[in-house]
Amino acid sequence: MKTRNKYLLYTLLLSALVVSVILATAVGAVAIPPRETFQIIISRLTGLWQSSDIPATTQAIIWNLRLPRVLLGLLVGASLALAGVSFQGLLRNPLADPFTIGVSSGAAVGATIAMLLQQTYQISFTQMLPIFAFAGAFLAMFFVYNLARIGGQVPVVTLLLAGVVVSSFLSAVISLLMVFAGEDMQGIFFWLSGGLLMRSWSEIWFVLPYLLIGSIILFTYARDLNVLLMGEEAALTLGVNVERTKRVLLVTASLITAAAVSVSGMIGFVGLIIPHAVRIVTGPDHRVLLPASALVGATFLIWADVVARTVMIPKEIPVGIITAFVGAPFFIYLLRKKKSEIRL
Amino acid sequence: MRIEIQDISFTYGNHQVLEGTTFHVSSGKFVGIIGPNGSGKTTLLKVLSRILQPTAGCVRIGEQSLSELTQKELARTMAVVSQDTNVGYQFSVEDVVLMGRAPYLGRFQSESLADYEIARHALEVTGCTHLRDRSILELSGGERQRVTIARALAQQPKVLLLDEPTSHLDIGYQQEILDLVKRLSTVEGLTVVAVLHDLNLAAYFCHELVLMHQGKILACGQPTDVLTADNIEKVYATRVLVTPHPVFGTPQISLLPGTREQNKHGENHQIHVIAGGGSGGEIMRDLCDAGYKVTAGVLSVGDSDWEAARALSIPVISEAPFSSVSPERHQENLAMLETAQAVILTEIPLGHGNLLNLEAALQAAAAGKPVYMIEEKPAQNRDFTGGPGQELLTKVQQQAQSIREKTELYRALAEQFSSSGQLNDFTDVTRPAVDQ
Repeated sequence: MKTRNKYLLYTLLLSALVVSVILATAVGAVAIPPRETFQIIISRLTGLWQSSDIPATTQAIIWNLRLPRVLLGLLVGASLALAGVSFQGLLRNPLADPFTIGVSSGAAVGATIAMLLQQTYQISFTQMLPIFAFAGAFLAMFFVYNLARIGGQVPVVTLLLAGVVVSSFLSAVISLLMVFAGEDMQGIFFWLSGGLLMRSWSEIWFVLPYLLIGSIILFTYARDLNVLLMGEEAALTLGVNVERTKRVLLVTASLITAAAVSVSGMIGFVGLIIPHAVRIVTGPDHRVLLPASALVGATFLIWADVVARTVMIPKEIPVGIITAFVGAPFFIYLLRKKKSEIRL
Repeated sequence: MRIEIQDISFTYGNHQVLEGTTFHVSSGKFVGIIGPNGSGKTTLLKVLSRILQPTAGCVRIGEQSLSELTQKELARTMAVVSQDTNVGYQFSVEDVVLMGRAPYLGRFQSESLADYEIARHALEVTGCTHLRDRSILELSGGERQRVTIARALAQQPKVLLLDEPTSHLDIGYQQEILDLVKRLSTVEGLTVVAVLHDLNLAAYFCHELVLMHQGKILACGQPTDVLTADNIEKVYATRVLVTPHPVFGTPQISLLPGTREQNKHGENHQIHVIAGGGSGGEIMRDLCDAGYKVTAGVLSVGDSDWEAARALSIPVISEAPFSSVSPERHQENLAMLETAQAVILTEIPLGHGNLLNLEAALQAAAAGKPVYMIEEKPAQNRDFTGGPGQELLTKVQQQAQSIREKTELYRALAEQFSSSGQLNDFTDVTRPAVDQ
């Protein structure tokens, strides 16, 4: 991509994201004009634009309820898209997504256990669910990685296989736990479907460091990801330390995914679709693909969540269902339009 | 840059692929590694490129041991073009070539104008400039191979390793790629080591050859020393004819039949072939394949039919090169004809020098031997004597069985010998009879 086009693209995507944040915060059961929304956000952030003329309830809705939810959507969307790009590039497989190597299943098991403990044994502490989910995701990743390792190397094929096997095993564990859960099953079901309901600023602080540090690491390895697409042997001869690069990327992308999943549940399709859609515009160069996907993923999930919470007011649909509803047909469209040319 | 391979061994599980391999490549030389499938060529190349770690021994490149270099240092010294250039991503040709600059760039550094210039030069050298903005996916096999070489050149290496760079390519591209590689080694001073499958191409392009056999080096050195009929028979278990390239004199390999003993039914039957000027080579080969005892004469030394007869180890009456058949040789020929059960006269170009061969055919016919006269192209004028040749030919024609097609000959021979009480399924074996 030409440098000029690259900056044009970033400007476009960034402004779309900012506008999306404001509009999405304004939309809801109580409609608040975007101008007021913007005013409240600016005054809270900078103190420059006084918003004392706006009712305190409106301010509370914006600042305590809607904004954290929209921002969390932003972070989770960006995280999933980044992880999706990384896994697809790393595994050189267009079907890979953040959930391919079992991270999500691990998180789901952790979350299910946390919910069971809370409801059956009344054991509870702050951030218990995300912490359990994260631990589950981390353990799953650790397990899959070591399962796939053969004599100091992690071949892509064994990694994929180990991920699939561990995923289906953990799915069975979740089903079993749901049998024990009985009437609490709906809570687990909702979590598994993925949603951003009842999220607050604390979840944002939970995810943010992983996304920030993780994306910096991914960006520094962007060129290595490009070279890896040439094949592992070719990458070696082009000066990439292949095994170390794979290890770093795998752990980083998994941790980003784990953090996102542990606060939002299993939101599918973002990590699969967004990288493909962005790749059509930017080409396969990860130095552009990574940041662009993060921006598009963030914007996409914000709007998916708007639909999830407004389409059946006062009821809410888990956002994972929306992303699947939008994502699956879109993916089929891409596949048909480009014929069998879905490539990395 | 000089490469020193010292006592390299490599084991896959229990299978020893390389055993005590030692050789060196001088700076700026183009060295070809040849050998049959499974002889360890590709493994050797992968050890050289450090994709595989040898179980014993070491490789030195210039002053340094291969294992001392960091991955990036290695990539700046040595570039590798592997056999598999298939890709599944949409990079443009220029992007791919720029990846050759990766070993020179830091994590946060992007390509400078100098890097673009180097990539441009690499594209130019490999003749890919016009492909620059195309997607790598749209290219043909040969173009992709050239782009991969351009990427390797963008690494500005001192050593270039290639693994069968011309497999899957047609002869035009094969030559183009090897021409390019040779030029890089002679003009730009690149040290090149290439695994090659085609012995003739290897002989033609490489300065030196390394012949591998069962994980060991059987021979290495100049192509003429390595590509001997003996060496090739030992390694490939097939008989070949090594002749100098007609123009450049490099050794050229031609396949020879007869190592696989197919059909011995015709063993007791002697067939005498009167040939010359390349008209009888194929027939002699087919008859030998079928197991007949073939004799030939009179042939001039150096005639292509004489070469064929010698390669097939056929008893032949030879005359000095470019001279007429002498009465002595004619007599010898007649003596040889005595014991033959059939005589074949091929479409010889007739000159004053070989009219005696027609006489021999006539005498054989007079003695009651079946004479088969090949007339695949009867309209063609092959009489260069201005009369007497055609006259003799007509005489032979009257007494011989005319054969319009080689398969017809083989069937006729099979019939002749089976009616004499011998089983002969010649036609079934050599070639399927068309009109059955």
